[in-house]
Amino acid sequence: MSRVPVVILGIFAALAFSWTGIVLTNQIQFGSLTPYYDQNEGRNYPDKVSGMAERGRSVYQDLGCAYCHSQQVRRLGFGADIERGWGERQSVARDYIYERRVFLGTMRTGPDLRNVGARRSVAEWHYLHLYDPQLTSPGSIMAPFAFLFEYRQLLGERSPKALKLPSDYAQRHGLDQPGFELVPTPRAEALVAYLLSLNDAYVFPEARPYVPPKKNGGSK
Amino acid sequence: MASAFNLGTSLDPATRPDAVWRAELNEIDASTKWPVVVFLLSAVAWLLVGTVFALISSIKLHAPEFLGDYEWFTFGRARSAHLNAAVYGWSTNAAFGVVFWLMARLSRAKLRHPGILVIAACFWNLGVAIGVGGILKGDSTSIEWLEMPPYATPLLFVTYAIIGSWAAITFRFREEKHIYVSQWYLLAALLWFPWIYAVAQIMLIYEPARGTVQALVNWWFAHNIIGLWFTPIGLGAIYYFIPKVLGKPIYGYFLAMLGFWTLAIFNSWAGIHHLIGGPVPAWVVSASIVASLMMVIPVVVTAINFHMTMVGNFAALRYSPTLRFVVFGAVNYTLVSLTGSAMAIRSVNEITHFTHFTVGHAHQGMYAFFTMVMFGAIYYVMPRILRKEWPSAMLIRAHFWSAAIGVTLYWVDLEIGGWIQGLQMNNPDIPFIEVVRNTVPYLFVGSVAGIVMTIGHFAFAVNIAWMFCTRSEDSAAAPTLFHSRPAMPGASAQ
Amino acid sequence: MNDRPADRLRLDQAGTSDDHLHRAHADLVSKKPTHPNGYSPRSLMFFGLMSACILFSAIYLGRYSGGFDPLVYDERILPGMLEGDSGAPVAQDPKVLGRHIFMANCAACHQVTGLGLPGAYPPLAGSEWATGPYERIVRIVLGGLSGPITVKGSSFNSSMPSLGQSLRDVQLAAVLTYIRAEWGNIAPAVSSEKVKEIRASVATRAGPWSAEELLKVP
Repeated sequence: MSRVPVVILGIFAALAFSWTGIVLTNQIQFGSLTPYYDQNEGRNYPDKVSGMAERGRSVYQDLGCAYCHSQQVRRLGFGADIERGWGERQSVARDYIYERRVFLGTMRTGPDLRNVGARRSVAEWHYLHLYDPQLTSPGSIMAPFAFLFEYRQLLGERSPKALKLPSDYAQRHGLDQPGFELVPTPRAEALVAYLLSLNDAYVFPEARPYVPPKKNGGSK
Repeated sequence: MASAFNLGTSLDPATRPDAVWRAELNEIDASTKWPVVVFLLSAVAWLLVGTVFALISSIKLHAPEFLGDYEWFTFGRARSAHLNAAVYGWSTNAAFGVVFWLMARLSRAKLRHPGILVIAACFWNLGVAIGVGGILKGDSTSIEWLEMPPYATPLLFVTYAIIGSWAAITFRFREEKHIYVSQWYLLAALLWFPWIYAVAQIMLIYEPARGTVQALVNWWFAHNIIGLWFTPIGLGAIYYFIPKVLGKPIYGYFLAMLGFWTLAIFNSWAGIHHLIGGPVPAWVVSASIVASLMMVIPVVVTAINFHMTMVGNFAALRYSPTLRFVVFGAVNYTLVSLTGSAMAIRSVNEITHFTHFTVGHAHQGMYAFFTMVMFGAIYYVMPRILRKEWPSAMLIRAHFWSAAIGVTLYWVDLEIGGWIQGLQMNNPDIPFIEVVRNTVPYLFVGSVAGIVMTIGHFAFAVNIAWMFCTRSEDSAAAPTLFHSRPAMPGASAQ
Repeated sequence: MNDRPADRLRLDQAGTSDDHLHRAHADLVSKKPTHPNGYSPRSLMFFGLMSACILFSAIYLGRYSGGFDPLVYDERILPGMLEGDSGAPVAQDPKVLGRHIFMANCAACHQVTGLGLPGAYPPLAGSEWATGPYERIVRIVLGGLSGPITVKGSSFNSSMPSLGQSLRDVQLAAVLTYIRAEWGNIAPAVSSEKVKEIRASVATRAGPWSAEELLKVP
């Protein structure tokens, strides 16, 4: 049938249309987004994360945290992200330019983590939560990540990184043996460093909130 | 606009000698036998693997301490292992098997050098196995629908090149002049898959794009896997099996090509509805919403074609396992697509995004539509290439009812639970931990639904294994139907 | 392949052959039935549905595409709606600026909590220096401080570097405003004009200030 080459061309064109529009155009439009230089503060935003936090990102990736936690704050008026304290403004593309792998996420089995470093800024909370989420959030369905920790014999002095478990919990789980301590492994430390680094502090010009004009007699 | 004639009565043995085309068809079926058998058996094996990881993940959602000590089974990994085993293991292997059988049949062309395809099938399975193992081990890319680590995927790509080109070659050397709509759908899927897969691999893994351009590529890719790979194959199968089993032509067939082109153009633009409200330009989100709503057009076309063909013939569902599974799939295709269009509306999305509603919707699409159609296809194809009949109608019945009830319970339950979850999440006065606790009963019912589906999978696997162990001479003289059917006029067709 | 028992006896589920499948559908396309009125109501309805979809899509895309600008994330925005779109700089909230400057330049010693380090760095929270006359603290940040100083009854004796060369007036004003309104401190803001005035008036002076000198100001 002579129609075949035309149909095949059409099949190609249909996908080429969306590839051009969704992939190519956006790569051209904002695939080389640069950091924003703030005149008043004299520095660039966003921050690049430290080495430890960068390693923590790999841990976040390999454990699949992104399948329960999103990392994107929706604008005011769309959902309740900002009212819940998950961020002060809508997330924009410039927030993510230094991330080798972007974890926007599509599920909120757990809360959004984009600014978790701002609202949970104490490492100890994260260690307890990772070890057993029930310690900090009773009723949570988050999995325990006890395998990120090590229950080991004291080497001389108690490590400053050792977890301070509530005594009844420690007793119930046999974690109160004298001469032993529960410490995070390097992977846990990296992961927590990554979580603490999650904080989109700066309001880029394109992230300014839009306030719709009032309907009756309001000025634009 | 009733059909002009009934194919059953229009069979005119005088047009071609019965024995000639029967012999030819036997040859075509025989040429496809080994590749199709290997693909379909691999598919069933991966179905079982995917089911195990599905149950593990589902249970962990309401009982997080389940297998909690094992890093390899942590939810993030188990869930991704399930998805990849189900998508690239079960669904894609089944798709390959059905594509080859259908393409050879409809093109009236023998599959050449089928041994090469058997080798390709083995390498495909090796690639998926390495990929799923890699996810469990901790090398997941955390890119949705593309979690397999980079050391597994080149193998898949090379294998696909062989598989895809073989099917295209079969089409190229067709003996049958007329091209039926199913062939267009299958050919299109075969051409689209490598393109979307390659773009995703390059722009997300080998040369990652900067920032949220990654998200756009990710969801262009992931939605197109569903919309431009699995959907056309499922639709192509439905377009074949309904008229084939009924002996009736498709009602409104002249709309079919309109449906094909509108699917191609609109579905490929719809992917960014997964990012509504996200850190991507508003224009591309709005374009995707528009495309998702325009999808109503091809969905209405296929709804007319499938459902109106069935009208007046629902009695056939009593007898034919193939028809039951395929029609169940067709009905769910219409439902899930209309749901999807609705979910793309911003005000609906505000509620459903990030909730279990999306998970229910995804399973309605991949299981209640695609998987059920594949089940129906397998029930038709296997006897013809093995030249044996299914040993047990009871197992087929068990399979159908478990799968149908299981998946319907699953998606209805998760969509209700997800809707409530979304409403509560949007109410900042409700503490988040309470929103989570309120989802637990729905997640529990989800696991129950999963167990029901698992029963069906085991019935299926047992029936297949039994069929293999039966010698063809002992096999039933009549096709395995649910109930015995009065003889149809002229129904001596292959 | 010829005529085995399975071939002869088997009654298939198939209602038709592939051959006839092809023939029948080819005929359907080529021999479409024509209608007496020239149109069919179902076709019209379908055409109507398609037109409605296309119309809706055009309107939606026109309104909610933000001018196809890649930096528009809120779908309600059209070009020209936001202040600053004309290119004029947008005023930054001084409190936010102040906090950022503090975190970057001061928190290392004075701590995020403003409590300082006993014996080493004086606190700012509840400090009479922070809430006192602004002329003193402007001089401290411009020129630095050295020598003994008493803050909240405790004495400190170290040195604070000058920030006058690395920070501009608007930045200094913002950070001083911040410390005067944070941690329970209540004191009036410091404007960048005042900082500019004082910078000019102490331009000839070199070296850090001492607490003694500052207490004589204003």
